[in-house]
Amino acid sequence: MNYAMALEYQNCINCQACEVACKQENGVQLGADKQRIWVGMVEGTIFGRPYANIYPSQCNHCLEAPCVSVCPTKASHYGEGGIVKVNPKQCILCKGCMEACPYDARFVDDTRVVIDKCTFCDHRIAETGTTACQATCPTKVRTFGDLDDENSDLVKLLKTRRFFVQKEHIGTVPKLFYLLPEDEAYAKQSLAHTTDIHTWEEIKPHYDEARNRRSKEWKR
Amino acid sequence: MQIEISRRRFLKGSVALMILGGTALSGADILAEAMSKATAAPAAAKGRRKVATICEMCVNKCAAIAHVEDNIVKKLDPNPLFPKSRNMLCARGQAGISALYDPDRLKYPLIRAGERGDGKYRRATWEEAYKHIADKLGKILDEEGDNRSTIGYCAGEGLAEHTFKSFMSDKFGSSNFLNHSSICLQSTVTGYTLTIGGYGIADLENARYVIMAGANRAEAILTPDTMDLFKRTRGRGAKLVVVDPRYTNTAMHADTYLPIKPGTDLAFVLALTYATLLGQLYNKEYVENNFQDFEKYKKHILDSGYTPEWAEKITGIPAGTICKVAHDFMAAAPQAIYYQGRRTTWSKNDFQLRRAMALFTALGGGVDVKGGIVFGHKLPLGDHAITAPIYANAKGRIDKDAAAVVGSTGSWVAWRNMVAEGKTPYPVRGMFVYKQNPMLSVPDTAKTAEMFRKMDLVVVIDTMPSDTAMFADVILPECTYLEREDPVTSFAGTEPAIALRMKAIEPMYETKPVIDIMRGLGETLSKPLWEISKKHDEDLQSELEDRPEEEVYSEGGYDLADAYQESQEDINHHMVVAKHGEAAWRILRDKGVFYPQMNEFFKKLSDNSYQYYPRNKKYYGVLKKEGEMVRDDSLDRDCETCETCVNPADIAPTSRTYSTPSKKIECYLGAMEKRGVDPMPTWHDEDYVKVPKGKYKFITGRHAHFTQNATANNIMLLELMKENYVWINDREARTLGIAFGDTVEIVSPVGKVHIKAYPTPKIVREAIFYIHGFGAKSSLQTFAHRNGASDNEIIEGIIEPVLGCAIMHDTLVSVRKV
Repeated sequence: MNYAMALEYQNCINCQACEVACKQENGVQLGADKQRIWVGMVEGTIFGRPYANIYPSQCNHCLEAPCVSVCPTKASHYGEGGIVKVNPKQCILCKGCMEACPYDARFVDDTRVVIDKCTFCDHRIAETGTTACQATCPTKVRTFGDLDDENSDLVKLLKTRRFFVQKEHIGTVPKLFYLLPEDEAYAKQSLAHTTDIHTWEEIKPHYDEARNRRSKEWKR
Repeated sequence: MQIEISRRRFLKGSVALMILGGTALSGADILAEAMSKATAAPAAAKGRRKVATICEMCVNKCAAIAHVEDNIVKKLDPNPLFPKSRNMLCARGQAGISALYDPDRLKYPLIRAGERGDGKYRRATWEEAYKHIADKLGKILDEEGDNRSTIGYCAGEGLAEHTFKSFMSDKFGSSNFLNHSSICLQSTVTGYTLTIGGYGIADLENARYVIMAGANRAEAILTPDTMDLFKRTRGRGAKLVVVDPRYTNTAMHADTYLPIKPGTDLAFVLALTYATLLGQLYNKEYVENNFQDFEKYKKHILDSGYTPEWAEKITGIPAGTICKVAHDFMAAAPQAIYYQGRRTTWSKNDFQLRRAMALFTALGGGVDVKGGIVFGHKLPLGDHAITAPIYANAKGRIDKDAAAVVGSTGSWVAWRNMVAEGKTPYPVRGMFVYKQNPMLSVPDTAKTAEMFRKMDLVVVIDTMPSDTAMFADVILPECTYLEREDPVTSFAGTEPAIALRMKAIEPMYETKPVIDIMRGLGETLSKPLWEISKKHDEDLQSELEDRPEEEVYSEGGYDLADAYQESQEDINHHMVVAKHGEAAWRILRDKGVFYPQMNEFFKKLSDNSYQYYPRNKKYYGVLKKEGEMVRDDSLDRDCETCETCVNPADIAPTSRTYSTPSKKIECYLGAMEKRGVDPMPTWHDEDYVKVPKGKYKFITGRHAHFTQNATANNIMLLELMKENYVWINDREARTLGIAFGDTVEIVSPVGKVHIKAYPTPKIVREAIFYIHGFGAKSSLQTFAHRNGASDNEIIEGIIEPVLGCAIMHDTLVSVRKV
């Protein structure tokens, strides 16, 4: 098992159903800044005409997770399938992981006094096969699955589509795959000039290598 | 009955329409029915269970599964089996739990202890509350000589709306009904229906070109439209043109975004039509076969000079763009749709705008065809008949002459103005309000308050202490949708299905479902009101000379509670089994959804897609007999009632072709001309409200995180958007010295509000905008109380002349920093 997610971000309408589904499913602390999952929006004008891009996001469950490496108490760890988790009993709230995470995917849960973050809804995978955010999404942005399963919808998508990941240069080997919009103009509008576009065939060895290196730490 | 029916003065548009089925059951029959228990399973007290339900956080009705643990609803998940909502729940749907466990919910019946509007109430028992209503009602009806229409009533949209409505109209006997139609979608529903025979469903799963003007499917979510469209935008099959004064989340998915001056859409559509007719771009075969009075329309458009250049000056959209849109639309036709929209009536010409939109779509042939506007099919359900008493002294509705055609759902603004100004033909002394909040939903709030202050009895049934509830003498707490079973409903579409809302948990506190409230109210009211009818109703008196009182009372339906004796479960059981059998009923109760051959047809195709009907079994092209998709049983099309909330019978008398399969696209409405309405869409310069210097046109709209004003106290949703901000063009804001977050004062002829500013390039310079539903005054709603501003405090209470719909976007306002 190697859980990951692909995002057809062109579908996103910023309705934030995923955010509410996540909070209800996982009992996340109330508060606008207490989010395991979020929808980012970038807006501006080009020659006076408005434009906006939407980037749904959450924890990347990196194969080389800096939050796991930096944790002094091993509270941050890899769970089954490489899901990055926090063990509340061991968390001393030093916030080192929050500093280390390049995606700002962690926050302090003041009610349980621990660091909280996305768990890919691992408590419900066995029953429903998917996360709350994927299930509820009106325009079906997300495809959740197992990178080890060649027949999964996820791997099939990655094999047929091109994609990019966020902050690739940091070397975190992240597992949120943003699917390149099929429309060239839309792709251009929503990508930086420097964004690297990948195919699964080309990037798979790199992901396999990172997986082999760190998966010894994964709990089963 | 021994009394000749002709001696009776029927309540027009009420009794005749409301009695379902051919024969009315007597009270005794209904009681006998109740004895046979259906399969309603009692909710298990402990442990985990899943209950299929239907969301009621907005009007869309997505199917959901409630996960219940030890009688606490822990999570709501989408139900993948329902073709209309295709495995989705939006932010509001997910936040349904926060509505169920809202600490500010109405928990007990309340009786007013202070002045209207001040929020002082005392807790009462249900018996006390019913008695209080009965006493006041008895006095009013006695003084008004049993004119039942002295009590108005209004209802918000929902699955249980009809239960309330049937009590007030059929059993109690008032003709003064109001719903949201005239402050919502009536003009577009009527406009499309009178023109192409139905409002229809835009087939966005297959359309190749869509013009979405003013409608905002990314933020005003509607299934399946929202789901279908945004998977196909920008190079993925559907060209999308968004025409809107605001750059919405829908606009950002558009191939072409056209900012337009508010109130000028009709000029845009007329110019599109001009370009199409002049260039002979239309579908000639379709027009030849299906249009009525086409030459007349063509001559009218061309002679009137509705050129793209003419429209450019009015709308601000370049003539070249208009020509290109017309060309591209017709090139994609018939898979091309000018999207109907829902919450409409932006300006005085709205009815004509909708007609022009429908005619433009029809010129491409995109009606009743895959990828165009389709009519779909609706699965039948059995009847639930009730006996309606007839009250000789009940008068017709007060607002029937307020516009050219006022239907049975009324004109909210005209009705309210008449009562507030004391200009009614007879006294209107009370109101029953179910699940609607006119204090926030009807333009000109001050006037609505004035209306309520004049009334002798206001009863509000709701789940939340709304601003309107604060004007009630008696507040009756309804349970939320997760605590009740509602009438089973058939959903029309290309993939029709029946869905059922079942009770996830027992009603909390002392709340009740509306059917129980109607029964309780009926039991208390029947005898006292019977005495009043006996005293004043001469028809009844003469009937009593011939027949024993007991018999007239029970067989005439004067026992107001008799229609509500059966449980909702039993009624649903009967309605489903009558048409689809016991097996269907078991599937429905187990899965929450049923349609014929569901087990065979339904397939999971991938993690994100399902098949509901095989391609060749979907209901496209239901009017054309030769179409391969059509089976004989699919030709009864009455898809309008459930989808649009506008009673088709209201529209029927004005159209000689309504809803008859072989009939034509109507260019010229002779029947409407007789009522003083333009028979063909016509632009009148004098109807356009110009924006003088220093003023702005106020426009309003919806948002994906809130449903009208009903969710303003939901803590989960307030996290997504804490309050509403006023959008003002950034360049205008600069000249006014307004920065983001500044508090500004907005003044209109009817009111003023304070709200924080959001300067943005995403809105045209002549308009300002903020989202509807905020700014509640009710002090009993902790989070909604005085949070943001209410649009209807500043929108003027004016109506368009055809249907009496409230004009929402013609109010001029001034803005200043405070």
